Amino acid sequence: MRRAKKIKINHNSEFDLDLAPLLAVMVKLVPVLLISSAFVQMMVIETELPQVVSEAIQKQENDPIQKNITLDVDPTQGFTIDISQNNQSTNENIPLKNGLLDFEELHKHMVAIKKLHPEIFKLDLNPDAKIAYKDIVKITDELRQAHDPNIKFPVFDSKKGKVTETPFMFPQIIFANMMEGTHNGKTTSL
Amino acid sequence: MARRHRFEPNIKKNSTFALNITSMTDMFTILLVFLLQTYSTSDVQIIPEKGLRLPTSASLSSPTEATKISLSTSALKLGQTQIAVVKNADFLAQDLEEHDSNFIKPLFDELDKIAKNNPEKDHVKEGRIILQADKELPYATLRKVMYTASMAGFPQLKLITLVGE
Repeated sequence: MRRAKKIKINHNSEFDLDLAPLLAVMVKLVPVLLISSAFVQMMVIETELPQVVSEAIQKQENDPIQKNITLDVDPTQGFTIDISQNNQSTNENIPLKNGLLDFEELHKHMVAIKKLHPEIFKLDLNPDAKIAYKDIVKITDELRQAHDPNIKFPVFDSKKGKVTETPFMFPQIIFANMMEGTHNGKTTSL
Repeated sequence: MARRHRFEPNIKKNSTFALNITSMTDMFTILLVFLLQTYSTSDVQIIPEKGLRLPTSASLSSPTEATKISLSTSALKLGQTQIAVVKNADFLAQDLEEHDSNFIKPLFDELDKIAKNNPEKDHVKEGRIILQADKELPYATLRKVMYTASMAGFPQLKLITLVGE
């Protein structure tokens, strides 16, 4: 009986992978991506708020006990925080640090205020006419939410019927002095 | 005497050779990953104005469709059209209302036209504007733009910033 012929397979053989089609695809993809790439990322100061926070803002607007927080910014005096409730107000001043606005201290103060008044989400901002736009943007950054991810504020979720937590402090900032000198009551908010 | 033959190397005229493209593919792969990272998925394209230095912010919200206004140290533009001149970080007296120094007449006229001609557009209905402003401009100048825009029926202001701390 004839023995079956053994086919010799060289397990150590090498072969060249044809990369030409892959390269062709890449050559076409690179110009497409180059055109649509954004090398300068631009964002907007706008906060998409969770529903519970939006509801809390609505609740604050309808609240008969008028509780209001106002932040005045002056290039010579620093920050002045005014908390008014039932026609009574308290003031806190954050002086300049080395002749500049102390943003770090402002954030610490605002976190402390938010802990005391977790139901307030709206803040009136009154910057002085000389305050630079970059400083206004920095202030809004300090006010919007706590930098420390471990710091959370209680907010009541009416749908679940229990208190949840949010990192937002004062997401609704209103330029309250925008209409100064006019008789119109309109304001611009972020 | 035998004549000496000139040495001719043995080269095949019609030979082909395989180009090693592995390193080139590597390079393209890295480039592709980098470009995919910077790929813009935003539905609104904002062209940065020349000479305008935007402030940086920690905000990470992408811009949405809105009326675009840019305020640099030299001009106020609506889209790409210049509507007022800015000099020494303020508007010229001729562009401001006589009895209301916060009111920029040409801006109000243009925004009013937009509001009347495109009432069906969502961003016009809601009164949304996107403002690109130079970071060194004082609030007094910005306030005039905000004030005029809100008077023209555009009270929802979105400030454009660069990503950063």
